[in-house]
Amino acid sequence: MSDIILETRGLSRYFGGLAAVDDVNLGIEKDKITAIIGPNGAGKTTLFNLITGIYPVTRGEVLFRGISLNKVPAHQRARLGIVRTFQNVLLFGNMTALENVRTGQHPRSSYGFLEAAIRLPKSRREEERIALNAAKYLNMVGLGQYAQENALNLPLGQQKLLAIARALATEPRLILLDEPGAGLNRLEKNDLSDLIHRIRDMGITVILVEHDMPLVMGLAEKVIVLDTGKKIAEGTASQIQKDKRVIAAYLGEDEDDI
Amino acid sequence: MWSVVKGRWHWGAIALMLAILFSVPFDWFLGEYTTLAIFIGINTIVTVGLCLLMGYTGQVSLGQAAFYGLGAYISAILSKTYDVNPWLAMFTAAVTTGAFAYVIGYPIFRLRGNYLAMATLGLGMILYILFRQMAQYTGGPDGMAGIPYLSVGGFAFDTPFRRYFLVWGFCLSILLISQNIVNSRTGRALRAIHGSEAAAESVGINVAQFKVKIFVLSAVYASLAGSLWVHHLRFVSPQPFDFLASVVIVVMAVIGGLASIWGAIFGAATIRILSDEVLLRFGEWDVIIYGLILMLVMIFIPEGLFVRLKKIYEWLRFKYAQKRAEP
Repeated sequence: MSDIILETRGLSRYFGGLAAVDDVNLGIEKDKITAIIGPNGAGKTTLFNLITGIYPVTRGEVLFRGISLNKVPAHQRARLGIVRTFQNVLLFGNMTALENVRTGQHPRSSYGFLEAAIRLPKSRREEERIALNAAKYLNMVGLGQYAQENALNLPLGQQKLLAIARALATEPRLILLDEPGAGLNRLEKNDLSDLIHRIRDMGITVILVEHDMPLVMGLAEKVIVLDTGKKIAEGTASQIQKDKRVIAAYLGEDEDDI
Repeated sequence: MWSVVKGRWHWGAIALMLAILFSVPFDWFLGEYTTLAIFIGINTIVTVGLCLLMGYTGQVSLGQAAFYGLGAYISAILSKTYDVNPWLAMFTAAVTTGAFAYVIGYPIFRLRGNYLAMATLGLGMILYILFRQMAQYTGGPDGMAGIPYLSVGGFAFDTPFRRYFLVWGFCLSILLISQNIVNSRTGRALRAIHGSEAAAESVGINVAQFKVKIFVLSAVYASLAGSLWVHHLRFVSPQPFDFLASVVIVVMAVIGGLASIWGAIFGAATIRILSDEVLLRFGEWDVIIYGLILMLVMIFIPEGLFVRLKKIYEWLRFKYAQKRAEP
């Protein structure tokens, strides 16, 4: 068990009568890059939402480092070391790029209203550390020169990098990237791929949902395939490419026809 | 880019502002307007609370006048009817109002979506009716008079000149505290909630808790302002805390620039001067003018008049610097 960082057992989520995620069992290996793929509506983002606590689970459970997360509210999961990015980026538009990353340091600092109001020494000490770390993560994604730019003034590719920097600033053990490559050109995708490798090398486990197959094949050490809320295959990229059920799911054929 | 000259206000500008503020109540300057300036200070305190709640955190309250009135009435009743020391009355009012806001805010912020506006709207109406109807405690629509002044040792704040410094001492302290909060981890968390609640939660911000806390803080500010009001006027009646008062507070915040702490002074001053010097002539039509101001500002300068003026000033400075740099 030691090398499994995240596990789901019989994880299910229903919306009305519809099973968006249906009895999914996963074991995500530590310090690896795992890709979750599947056609639209397969339940990939719902799975992310269950892991990060945006939706409560209908049945089953999520275990992070052996501890059940079912009763852990979403905001506390960041402190435990789970962070995510969003398909639609969701940067804080009322802040500069640097402030966005500073906000990411929230779970790694603790001073509150009172310390802030009268600027107690604790607030200054923490603020210095926050500033230092935020600059580090912003530079890591290559956006150091845009520190003072409003986050939403950046082009989409850089916004996505900024969102990753913000997530890294929470100093996670596990990062979930929801379609990080969507909307990027080939060059930006190469940079992204390089960045994700560096994140993995920092000792952060990566799970990504992605539609761009060349990107997935270049990155993922393990691929999990979802279709209509169920896990239909799991393995290395080359194994998955040959899997008949996966091909059927993507091409929309009935299994009998294969 | 001219934005490079943007930055913190110069110490010179701050010193000048403080000097002007200090001089206002003296006869050789604006002494005849001391009372007006006191009200501007009191309004600024309420307004800055709403700026924190609405401008920074994105939570709309249409009932700030209720907390304002609560502070006023608790202070008045305790210090007049029960002979409690006015400072203790003021403190008790702030704690009670804060607790009240917590009790209301806690269940509301468990819900996703903006229910605060509706809840505070209702709250404002209920409290206004209570102020009017609980005549045995509040004096009813006629109000109650003879509320004692605040005093320190033997020094009573019994002239407008003295109360000016009391009120503005409070006001500037509160502005400074608010400025510190905005430029902190807490302030970033509040702005993050305004930006995207889902993203805020994903980086570990306890969205519901921060909303409750800032709501309580804004209520405490309003309560302090209410207490200062009754210990200044020595009189309290329900009318200044009706629904229109809540709307006027929103207008003040909007004119100053919702996400601007120091704009609160500007917003409070503009509306206060306008209402005391100009709108009086319009009688009950003043409501229409407030509505019109709100509409025009939201359509043409949504960032607020104060923030726009500041930008123009910075742009002019940049142009000036550019001109000087040219050979």
